[in-house]
Amino acid sequence: MTPGRTPLLALRQISKSFGAVEALVGVDLEVHGHQVVALVGDNGAGKSTLAKVIAGVLQPDSGLIELDGAPVTIPSASAATRMGVASVFQDLALCENLDVTANVFLGQEVRGRLGMLHDGEMETETRALLRHLTVRIPSVRTPLRNLSGGQRQAVAIARTLIGNPRIVVLDEPTAALSVAQTAEVLTHIERLRELGLGVILISHNLNDVRAVSDRIEVLRHGRNNGSFPGDASHEAILAAITGAGSPSL
Amino acid sequence: MAGSQSSLREANRALVVDAVKRHGGLTQVELTGATGLSPATVSTIVKELLAGGMVEVRPAVRSGRRAHLVTLAHRVGLVAGVVVGYRQMRVAIADVTHEVVGEQTLPLPADHRPDTSLDRAALLVVDLLERVGVDLDELLAIGLGLPAPVDASSGLISVRGVLRGWDGVPIAQVLEKRLSRPVFVENDANLGALAESTVGAARDYHNSLYVRASHGVGAGVVIGGRLHRGLGGAAGEIGHVQVDPAGRICACGSRGCLDTVVGIPALLEPLRTSHGNLTLRDLVSLANDDDPGCREIVSDAGTVVGAVVANIATVMSPEVVVVGGELAETGETFLGPVREAVRRRTLLNQPTPLEVVPAELGTRAELMGAIVLALQSTDVFESAEDGTQKGSL
Repeated sequence: MTPGRTPLLALRQISKSFGAVEALVGVDLEVHGHQVVALVGDNGAGKSTLAKVIAGVLQPDSGLIELDGAPVTIPSASAATRMGVASVFQDLALCENLDVTANVFLGQEVRGRLGMLHDGEMETETRALLRHLTVRIPSVRTPLRNLSGGQRQAVAIARTLIGNPRIVVLDEPTAALSVAQTAEVLTHIERLRELGLGVILISHNLNDVRAVSDRIEVLRHGRNNGSFPGDASHEAILAAITGAGSPSL
Repeated sequence: MAGSQSSLREANRALVVDAVKRHGGLTQVELTGATGLSPATVSTIVKELLAGGMVEVRPAVRSGRRAHLVTLAHRVGLVAGVVVGYRQMRVAIADVTHEVVGEQTLPLPADHRPDTSLDRAALLVVDLLERVGVDLDELLAIGLGLPAPVDASSGLISVRGVLRGWDGVPIAQVLEKRLSRPVFVENDANLGALAESTVGAARDYHNSLYVRASHGVGAGVVIGGRLHRGLGGAAGEIGHVQVDPAGRICACGSRGCLDTVVGIPALLEPLRTSHGNLTLRDLVSLANDDDPGCREIVSDAGTVVGAVVANIATVMSPEVVVVGGELAETGETFLGPVREAVRRRTLLNQPTPLEVVPAELGTRAELMGAIVLALQSTDVFESAEDGTQKGSL
């Protein structure tokens, strides 16, 4: 819980362009264990691009990524998973027709020596994970199509915990959820933090962000535009997002 | 699980009841999944429980299809308890026997606004009711707790500045308008006192003092079995007793209040360089994990709070002091120094030493208090007979 001197993940001067579009320009970001860092900003501010760089989906044009102080390259999403970086994107990438267990272990199934699936073991593990996150899903055998938006988000978050990650990236986890479902997801985020993970939370909703974050990083036009403590005022963060009172440029 | 058939059935029955309690309402298919029992066993047990009046089956809609939800039988009606804190909101639905049938916690931002938070409280109540398959009409009343003194007659916060942005907001009316149910607002420490003296650690005593050590410190005074609210509901606001005449200015405007010394910002500040950005829950769990720095902070806070509690206790002479709030979750780390401070006062130890005990309801004391308040404020049995709700506002 004591923040080490070296952050779990550090991005230094990350830049990424798509043709003439400068998505990220010299962006810095640090995440420690047991910390929720929120990335906020307008549409097109570069939040999701940054998330994709961390998740190994996109390669930065320049800049340095450090894990535990050691420079690394994250060439692919599966490499990111191996390095302990798990991500949940907005579309969740879950299968409607499969049950909760199958979704949690999708692509990472536990197999026996003959290549047979260990259903029982996976179910037990899933139950334990959901209980850990204090998720309220009656049965791990429920097909995904029968779950609410909040429960799906919970399944997606539970899935990231397979393989003991150290960093979890959540892209808009509370978008389009009811208040009760938001409450559940925010509680899961608090749990992730208490489990000692570094959490990167991307969201438009300043209320949700300010409820659970230790630090709030504002992106504007692909650049860092302010870093705030979690209890900073709504107005100060909003000003940084919109560029009101920003002396830059 | 060696034993007879009947003890096995007993265990299975407990499994089903537990699952229903945890989820609020479940279909029989979901119950099979939640308990791991066979559909036939679940069906038999549900029938038995139905016959025994333990559960009810209510029509509901699940994933767009009609379904029958098995819920705990709530006789006569339900009440809601809402406790809004500095950084979280807790909502619970309970029946007239104080049995909680649904509960939800929502983390809140610092300095959250009354309009947003009350709106979310209303939505959470409605959502929880839906989860247990009950209409809003069946809700008898709502008890709402706030971390500030509340004037019972006006429903307004009576001390300005204590809860930023909430001054002058007609809190009960705002929520009543949203839900069209009677709403009763009370200070959170008073609710804790109400709960502990009704169903908790102080239920066998007439005079008790409840101390709540959370983001700030508050207390509830129970005299002759009744909550003593004082003028403007401000009785027991021990967070604003002066402990350091040369100290900082408090949110209330006075100097050196107890809250400026043992309020959470004051407790976390000395840990910032060594431990980084901590929350109240981090502090409690680290203290419980034997982190020396955090233990030191918590027990020093106990000493300061204890000295104030000893003075209050000398004035009111309670039979027991109940300590609740998150800091009390550290057990003797916090309670020990409080008790120590009380032991040091001769008067409090004659003829018998004043007991200092942890809250029996733990950090749920305030939420239970909101439920108790809602139940006490409505005439449950009368409304059961004529089928309409009534709140004596």
